[in-house]
Amino acid sequence: MNDLQNTKILYRFLSCVCVSFFTVLSYSNNNTHTLDTNPNECTTHIHYDGEYFDFCDTCGCGSSGGSMGYGTGLNNNFIGLRYIGQEYRSRDGIFADSPWIKENFNTIQAWANVPITKRAILNVIVPYQFHNRVLPDNTEQNINGIGDISILGYYNLLKATPDSIVSIKPEHYFQLGGGIKMPTGKYDKDNNEGSVNPSFQLGNGSWDYVLAINYGFTYRNWGISTMANYTIKTKNPKDYQFGNQLNLGINAFKTYYVSDMAITPIIGLAEEIYGTNKEIGFDVADTKGDVFLGKLSVEASYNRYALGLTGMLPISQNLNSDKVELRNRVSVYLNINL
Amino acid sequence: MKNSLLALSAVFALFMTSCSNDDDTSEENLTGSGEISIKFDNGYNGNDLVLGTANAANANDEVITVNRLSYIVSNVSFINKDGEEYVYAKDDSYFIINQETEEDQIALADIPAGEYTTVKFGVGVDQEKYLQGAEGQGDFLTLAEENNMMWSWQAGYKFLNFEGTFTSETITEATEFKIHMGSHGSSLDNYKEVTLTLPENVVVGDGIDSNIHLKIDASKILVGGTNSIELTEKQVIMVDAEKSPQIAVNTSEIFVVDHIHNGNGH
Repeated sequence: MNDLQNTKILYRFLSCVCVSFFTVLSYSNNNTHTLDTNPNECTTHIHYDGEYFDFCDTCGCGSSGGSMGYGTGLNNNFIGLRYIGQEYRSRDGIFADSPWIKENFNTIQAWANVPITKRAILNVIVPYQFHNRVLPDNTEQNINGIGDISILGYYNLLKATPDSIVSIKPEHYFQLGGGIKMPTGKYDKDNNEGSVNPSFQLGNGSWDYVLAINYGFTYRNWGISTMANYTIKTKNPKDYQFGNQLNLGINAFKTYYVSDMAITPIIGLAEEIYGTNKEIGFDVADTKGDVFLGKLSVEASYNRYALGLTGMLPISQNLNSDKVELRNRVSVYLNINL
Repeated sequence: MKNSLLALSAVFALFMTSCSNDDDTSEENLTGSGEISIKFDNGYNGNDLVLGTANAANANDEVITVNRLSYIVSNVSFINKDGEEYVYAKDDSYFIINQETEEDQIALADIPAGEYTTVKFGVGVDQEKYLQGAEGQGDFLTLAEENNMMWSWQAGYKFLNFEGTFTSETITEATEFKIHMGSHGSSLDNYKEVTLTLPENVVVGDGIDSNIHLKIDASKILVGGTNSIELTEKQVIMVDAEKSPQIAVNTSEIFVVDHIHNGNGH
């Protein structure tokens, strides 16, 4: 357990503190001499898809699946489709032998990273959700519909190396972003009653605000990407307020070239921390929590197309006082680079 | 640029790490009155209580199958955060929790708006009520009869009706047990008061109905914090000057607040 704690602390340190540290470092590096003069033509072909963070778009603690893929990369503007499947189970009742309810959260997202200026990027995610769960009396409950649409703007604080110049020194990016998550997904109060997962919703029902920060670098065909984002959730018209949410992620990846294809395996860690939900201004018991995840992913790109496959498993978690458990997450995406 | 970047990063890091939000809107809209309901969720030593299903052995190595669990809850009052007690109208303050009929919730309407820190109730029927005579009981007498919570009017109410079968080290064949605890007229007063401090305040007001969810541990009726009673020794405990008061004390200790639902009325 100590090891795990240490890993988590180290990890948070990496994600939060190093972002600023490395950035400043890299900023000054931009002005220094090139360390290696051997051009490596592969570098320019590296895709920055390691920054597609597989955070998903659902509601409060547990199934909130920690926000969404706010991660963007340098030189990496795309439109695409992504499927995210999340399996949870939540306890229906207060006893040690109360039954578990299996819940499947499915999301299909249309997402795009569109360049506005050389340094500014617009990130749009339009999710469609189809969730289901089987209640203890064996009735199945399905909800489906559009989820909460989010629009974020990013600004890259570092100058990108022009494509025409082949660079062999580490190439950094550092983006600050912010945006909104709109209440386009339906929030149904009835789904929040009883002791089962309060996050079984299509949307938060509220206007939420997102702050995001991405930092990463690539060196030759290696790369590291880190991200952090914070969602400030407001009260919805039913006087319910999901807890604020902090997402952290770090990924390492390496790209291999096989004839015309680029294959990028990615290994990562992610953490999601949720605040307490409120109803009419009062804390709702057992709604805060956190989950720490490991991630394995592979992306294959050919020409302008990128196909990705990601699996995430919880390493440790404490969601809704252990009344909700994340089992796994998978995602598949197909992007077309612009 | 470097400095501004550092500053920005620092601000961001700060923001990211400050994960709480404290915009308390409590109280300001608390006017009028609302309903507080109390759910009595019956369990057995941490597990759900399922009638007719054997539970894990207790500390006395007795394996108990509960077939009936009913008890009388009465005289509910709430203490607000200023220490003032609101006593629910006595005539409307007698209830029966019955696992067989799945009667597990009581509703207390028109509680004055406020934040309450403590709930108090009685287990059983107090002497004052009993001494009002049969007429003074109103509909509750009929309700108690329907729920097997009466011996006869003279003998009085059963405060607790706990029945089933058990096996133990020495009694290996499933054997019936019956625990009927009450006050036995006025000669023995087994009425007990329960005071539960809430883990967070329960809030009511106009448009705000709230719920207190109690977790009951029926295993404590026999093996409680105060008294341990072996069914192997005696299987039928009714009018028993020694064991019946012990059961009464144990029963007053089976209630724990699991959580509060403010504002969604269940």
